Amino acid sequence: MKDQLEEIRARALRGLADDATEAATEDVRVRVLGRSGELTEIMRRMREVPAAERPAIGQLVNQIKRELEARIEVLQHKLKQAALERSLAEARLDVTLPGARLPRGRLHPVTLTIEEMLRIFGAMGFEIVATRDIEDDFHNFAALNFPPDHPAREMQDTFVLGGGLLLRTQPSTGQIRVMEQRKPPLAIVCPGNCYRRDELSVRAAPMFSQIEGFMVDRAGKITMAHLKGVLTEFLRAFFGPGTAVRFRASFFPFTEPSAEVDISCLLCAGKGCRVCKQSGWTEILGSGMIHPNVFRAVGYDPAEYQGFAFGLGVERTALLKLGVEDMRLFFENDLRFLGQFQGSVERFS
Amino acid sequence: MKLPLSWLGEFVSVAAEVEEICRRLTAAGVEVENLERLRPGFSNVVVARVLKVDRHPNADRLSLCEVDAGPVGRFSVVCGAPNVRAGMTAAYARVGARLRAGVHGAGGAASVEQAPPLEAAVIRGIKSDGMLCSERELGLSEEHQGILELDSGAPGVDLAAALYLDDTVLDIAITPNRGDCLSVLGLAREIAALFGVRMKPARITPLTGQDHAAAPLAVEIQAPDLCPRYAALAMSGIKIGPSPAWVTRRLELSGMRAVSNVVDATNYVMLELGQPIHAFDYAKLAGGKIVVRRAGNDREMTTLDGLRRDLLPDDLVIADAEKPVALAGVMGGGNSEVGGETGTILLESAYFEAMSVARTGRRLGLRSEASYRFERGIDRAGQVRALHRVAAIIRRIAGGRPAGSIVDVEARPAPAREIALEPDAIAKLLGIEIPPAEVSRRLKALGAAVRSGGRGRLIVTAPSFRPDLNEPADLAEEVARLRGLEEIPATAPARVSAGPAVEDASRIFARASREVMLGCGLTEIKSIAFVAPADNQAYPGIGAGETVRVTNPLSAELGEMRRSLVPGLRAALRFNLNREAAAFHAFEIGRAFIMKDREQAPEAERLAGVSYGEYALGAIGRAGVAADFFTIKGIVESYLQSLPGAPRPSFEPPGGGELAFLHPGKSAHIRIGGQLAGYAGELHPGEAMRLELSGPCGIFELDLTLLLAYGTPPPRPIELPPRFPAVRRDLALVVDREMAADKVLQAMAETELNLLESVRLFDVYEGGSLPPGKKSVGIACLYRARDRTLTDGEVNRAHAELVERARARLGAELRQ
Repeated sequence: MKDQLEEIRARALRGLADDATEAATEDVRVRVLGRSGELTEIMRRMREVPAAERPAIGQLVNQIKRELEARIEVLQHKLKQAALERSLAEARLDVTLPGARLPRGRLHPVTLTIEEMLRIFGAMGFEIVATRDIEDDFHNFAALNFPPDHPAREMQDTFVLGGGLLLRTQPSTGQIRVMEQRKPPLAIVCPGNCYRRDELSVRAAPMFSQIEGFMVDRAGKITMAHLKGVLTEFLRAFFGPGTAVRFRASFFPFTEPSAEVDISCLLCAGKGCRVCKQSGWTEILGSGMIHPNVFRAVGYDPAEYQGFAFGLGVERTALLKLGVEDMRLFFENDLRFLGQFQGSVERFS
Repeated sequence: MKLPLSWLGEFVSVAAEVEEICRRLTAAGVEVENLERLRPGFSNVVVARVLKVDRHPNADRLSLCEVDAGPVGRFSVVCGAPNVRAGMTAAYARVGARLRAGVHGAGGAASVEQAPPLEAAVIRGIKSDGMLCSERELGLSEEHQGILELDSGAPGVDLAAALYLDDTVLDIAITPNRGDCLSVLGLAREIAALFGVRMKPARITPLTGQDHAAAPLAVEIQAPDLCPRYAALAMSGIKIGPSPAWVTRRLELSGMRAVSNVVDATNYVMLELGQPIHAFDYAKLAGGKIVVRRAGNDREMTTLDGLRRDLLPDDLVIADAEKPVALAGVMGGGNSEVGGETGTILLESAYFEAMSVARTGRRLGLRSEASYRFERGIDRAGQVRALHRVAAIIRRIAGGRPAGSIVDVEARPAPAREIALEPDAIAKLLGIEIPPAEVSRRLKALGAAVRSGGRGRLIVTAPSFRPDLNEPADLAEEVARLRGLEEIPATAPARVSAGPAVEDASRIFARASREVMLGCGLTEIKSIAFVAPADNQAYPGIGAGETVRVTNPLSAELGEMRRSLVPGLRAALRFNLNREAAAFHAFEIGRAFIMKDREQAPEAERLAGVSYGEYALGAIGRAGVAADFFTIKGIVESYLQSLPGAPRPSFEPPGGGELAFLHPGKSAHIRIGGQLAGYAGELHPGEAMRLELSGPCGIFELDLTLLLAYGTPPPRPIELPPRFPAVRRDLALVVDREMAADKVLQAMAETELNLLESVRLFDVYEGGSLPPGKKSVGIACLYRARDRTLTDGEVNRAHAELVERARARLGAELRQ
């Protein structure tokens, strides 16, 4: 029996030579270790072995079994390794081919501009309030100190909707809506659409975005100096710290004093060029101290409260920042234009 | 407003460069938009008198002329003009003169300096010492039929000076509050105040030589609320004719056309002093009488331009004893117009209330230089002065003399506008201390009267020409802008917001929604909210309600407010397909306008998207996913899943006639919590064909105003991940083909077996061995207990129970 075992072992090891194929290895495993394999057979015939020899024979069978299993494992590992190497050598891709992509969306540059502006105002402590597009004469004109038939109303040609309604021509309606509901202190920006009767063209659009901002507190607490401080800080944060800011006296019915705000021309940095008509400056927003009549219209006592307001056009500002001149780009929605904005609106130079 | 500096110089002189004047004016709110330096197109051309004209001995068409150029000398020139004659005054170009347009207008040099100097020439054997010039040669016009004939000018005077060609004109944008700056006088006052210089003394020539018998005149104001003051003067012996160059040239530089001397004189004074003046033909006024009244029963009149105008009873008119003869402040009447035969005129210099002029002018679509000034408010006290000035000019350029004195009726005195300025008022508003002496000095420079009101308070009386100065804030602005806004420091305010900075919930929601859309691969677009009525009919949007129409649209094609964002997306799709785009995946967040009821603003936030062409995961050798119903629905589902508080949406096929712009079999209403939240589907194939699309185009639109409520998560505790494994059992149910898969899942979920964690659809199968009209729905069921690992037996019992209940509810068979 012992000889027979040695014989099985020697034959199996011959079959498990270093160059054995996967099939040959499997053959040996089935023939020797399988369910009706040679070693299994021996174990079945153990009864025939004299009782005294049985432990030794049993030990030998187990020893041979472990030895062969280990050998097979080594061979199989080697074979797998070889197979892997073969397949790696074969499976070479052209890694320059395009990937299977998930689509990627982009935000509109006007949205990016609004978000950037609001982020700055938010950081300065302004609250962001949404307001309505459709208004009545009171909120768009009368409360903002436009008397009926006053020529100032013609500065902004209005879309009328009937039923006493109109499309707001400026976001200052936000001031009225908020102040009707709340008492100072207030520091608020209202982004929103405005509408004026201009054909869509290089310079204008019948609908556009503006951001209105205002700060109101007890008389004497918010002054024109603060208006200059807030707007200067905003414009430098938005256009860059080197931006020069200039305040010019102007007129808006709803502010007194009023000021136009200019920044140094982005194209020529104030040296004078075609875009700024050689002036070195670009008009960027309108502002002023809220007119006492506006406070009266919302039931505030102008002797008690005081504050400033400003309004900023988004599309025009975005065009300036981008260094392009055609307003229509924002409303045509050409993917070749929209696809260029990666999370921010920055100037191409 | 155009301001020739030569004219300004008659009122004020400032020792500053013109650029500095422009800069200071602009900084002070009187914006100079353009500065134009006018230079003549010639040099060395003088006024000359033609003394003698002889035939050229060698040429029929040429003349030999002797000209007298005063101190410059006498010259002999050859001239080919047919209109040359002895005694005329002409433009003489000396040897050495330069003509930018060239001789016979044939040159065309870039500048006068670059034009070649004129040389003495020998023409047909006769020497010519210079030449007489045509208007074309002088660059004045295209006229070249003959030489320019001057109506005045001393020989030897430089032609540029004689014709007022050398000037600088500022183009100034006047804001609506500064009607006082719509004149040379007003701008001179502004400049004087800015530079701290005095105005030159006014030149008012008193009336002389009145002929009191010539034209009796009475003025009656019946509407003192609309016309507080009316001054008039009659002048007789007028000769109507053209105006001299000094008048026409200034009118021209100011942007007005010369008409005839009387009308030109009134316009000249309006431009100079800001007071509109109207001239009537006195002979055409019945009863020598002016009545300022409301139109009342007079229903129409014909204006100067020959058009018949309807009158409203409240329109202010100027009437004679019988009939309206002018629309006050807007336009004169045809029936009293000054013409070539006019010998006696009546000059009107009045103050009309701005609102009245504006209302009538706007209603009739009439806009004139006069109404423009009345609407912005003229000097309340400037009427008589302007009459003196215009009378003097008319006398000079049209002859005539005053027929009596000025009749000046003031029906309502001007209110005294006193403003009390508290000592700290300006500092409180501007944030900068300004010494009271400076405040007082600056306000006085503007023409205000300032006196002390005690305890540091100033009492300021606004000048009659500044109706915009009414309260302390107005005065603060005046002081600030005269001083320069750059003097005010820029300081940071203390944060005034009561609480931490917050943002409107709808904006936060819109921003979050945009992020999800980006993640779904859609690009944001923006479109204009005006659409054609046909767009609103084709894409009526979400929910019922009236369309919002624009009363005064830019065009019929933009006549309504959009009910839906889809027309804008559709236009963008088309725009890009026309420009070689093969695919288009885009969204927009914006407002749609549907009138639900009168109480609510008819506007609501919408999110809409369009998806056409290859959508995702394509590469070489493997087809990508093309947009269709399921990709667009997937985008909607991804979006709705991103809403932390949204219940499960239901997709319901549209009823007949609903969602007509979508494929009837591939579209659905979307309901959330029982409310209509939007729709999704494929564009109707008919419409896709019109757009020349080659495959399905997915569309969805959602009501963000409704969904906002689901944008914040409901308050609920965090669930810990389960600690015990789930067991999956699949089943296949055979149901009617028409039965919605969702209904099957719903039925299973509603069994509420407590071990059943979830059911999920994994297969739908038709045909094969199934009976016709049936389909098989494959469902994966997960069973789990929170507190233990389930045994096979427990799962089998639960699953058997589920199958039984589902069969009972749905009438379904279990597929073997």
